Amino acid sequence: MENSVVISDYEKMRRKQKTINAIKSTVYYVCGTILSLIFLFPLIYMFVTSGKSQGVFANDAGTFRMFLIDFSNLGMFATNYVRVLTEYDMYKYALNSIIYAVVAIVLNILVNGLAGYALSKFNFPGKSFFSFIILFLMVVPVETSIIPLYSIVVNTLGFKGDAAVFAVILPPAISIFNIFLFIQFFSGIPKEYEEAASLDGAGTMRIFFSMILPLSKPIIATVATFTFIGVWNDYLWPTLVLPPPNEWSWPLYPIQSALTTIQNITGVSEGEKMASLVITSIPIFAVYIAAQKYIVNGFGSAGLKL
Amino acid sequence: MLGSMLIVFGAFALIFLGVVGFDLIKAKANGTQYNMRTSFVAYGLLIPAVILGFIFVLLPIIYSLGYAFTDYDFFDPEGMTFVWFDQFKLIFEEFARKGDIFLSLINTLKFVVVVVPLQIGLALALALFVNNERKCVGLFKVCFFAPVAISLAVTSYLWKSIMSPSETGLMNLILGVFNIPPQSYIEDVNNAMYWIAILSAWQGCGYQMLIFLSGLSNVRKELYEAASLDGAGSFRQFLHITIPGLRSISVYVIITVFIGACRVMIQPYLMSGYYSHTMTLSLYMYTYGTRYHLVGYSSAVALLMTIVIGLITYLQRRFLTEKD
Repeated sequence: MENSVVISDYEKMRRKQKTINAIKSTVYYVCGTILSLIFLFPLIYMFVTSGKSQGVFANDAGTFRMFLIDFSNLGMFATNYVRVLTEYDMYKYALNSIIYAVVAIVLNILVNGLAGYALSKFNFPGKSFFSFIILFLMVVPVETSIIPLYSIVVNTLGFKGDAAVFAVILPPAISIFNIFLFIQFFSGIPKEYEEAASLDGAGTMRIFFSMILPLSKPIIATVATFTFIGVWNDYLWPTLVLPPPNEWSWPLYPIQSALTTIQNITGVSEGEKMASLVITSIPIFAVYIAAQKYIVNGFGSAGLKL
Repeated sequence: MLGSMLIVFGAFALIFLGVVGFDLIKAKANGTQYNMRTSFVAYGLLIPAVILGFIFVLLPIIYSLGYAFTDYDFFDPEGMTFVWFDQFKLIFEEFARKGDIFLSLINTLKFVVVVVPLQIGLALALALFVNNERKCVGLFKVCFFAPVAISLAVTSYLWKSIMSPSETGLMNLILGVFNIPPQSYIEDVNNAMYWIAILSAWQGCGYQMLIFLSGLSNVRKELYEAASLDGAGSFRQFLHITIPGLRSISVYVIITVFIGACRVMIQPYLMSGYYSHTMTLSLYMYTYGTRYHLVGYSSAVALLMTIVIGLITYLQRRFLTEKD
């Protein structure tokens, strides 16, 4: 008799605990959903508006239909996106951005990889000079030097007109922080590997390209991902150095700079503006999803920077 | 122009040769030797990085120091003369008569004062919110992080549309739900910078959330178990375990967000243009350098900014870490 009372008490307590947990969970998920909506509403608005004609947009303005897709005319999505891509030349700008990013990634890995290789695996007089410069440059804030960089590129190097593309692809090719990352990574590769390879008669370049680089896939992926994001999202520098697009030749602007051009086209609809923003953002979302692992790696390394 | 570049390069080459000589003498004294062939291979491997790094990283930094003491006009590089502190005198005169640079400073301060606590507070709150093993937490994380993926240009144009000053704008619709009268946002002479701070916090805080999360994962779980055995409630656990555990990572976050906030320019530039109620220090510097082509003056502003920001960062680091 006594026993069953204890059990039922226990049972009651357990049920109570369960209800409390259920309430807690519900509150948690409701809060989470509200917070998520606060963070996502601008993106939802961007996507939804990108499929509206100017008339529908004006009609929906000021009501909560601003958050609703215009289901009566879904074809407007295609119309807006095709118009932005072809008539406003967005495909050309996107292609430019891809080319700039790919060239910058390849150069970045070669230039900084080779430097990192020399500084981690070779012993030579004057090494401490480079180590000091790298340390110095990682501490000094560099962002404020955009104006002198502009004057060097235009007045000293003469990268004007079509040659300005060099001003877009060369500066992202060097990254002190990436040299630092490569040094860290290469130092972890055992020396025996290289010794074995050089006994087999492989030269320095052979060792670098056919042994070191294949062993360094994770760090290369991290560097490539961050370089891509950096070049794709850069607005200020390309807009400053590249000539604005004109009617008679292929434009040089990358996609971010082109946003300004498209915003200022007379008669551009709100839907088309938003479509151009969505097109600009999609590749970055894709990269973040595809390269999650390497981005988290990069965050880990960013902590090292401290 | 090319001449000054060669002089700077020569100076660095001399220092480098000095270090090489020093290393060689040291090696001789220790009875060790450098392999000549390996050394030259290493120099060869470094050449591309040295050339690009010198032109695009080192030189701009050195030049920005040098230009600040000249009257360099972008279109007249040959006519550049050394003017000592004249540019700084101009800046202080402009500042004293409460010209654009004074307004830029006020606007930048307005922005920093709001965005730093807002962004870090939000990031910490979100990190604590998703720091558990419930289902679907990953989805929340993705939602909070999504704005980080968006570029500043897209953010600016998107929010320019959301914060449309017209009564039918999206933000005015949302504020209307809470009975707040329509605002004019970026065109509001007094409050524009606060609105920019809000959208910047929205865009950036997901990044700091991830940093805080990695900090939280480093706090030892046994500490919480021990504390709850001692009868400490979750608030006291937060106060005495979580907060101290996050100290060093918070210093990092505060400093990086602060520096980033001091440099704000793309959002006001794209959303508003060159109006003085949204002019920030970076935008002021950029405008004078690229629009008015006064590189000397612009470099002087940049130099002052670098010194002040560097000083504040140093003080923050000292003040925040000394408490340990």
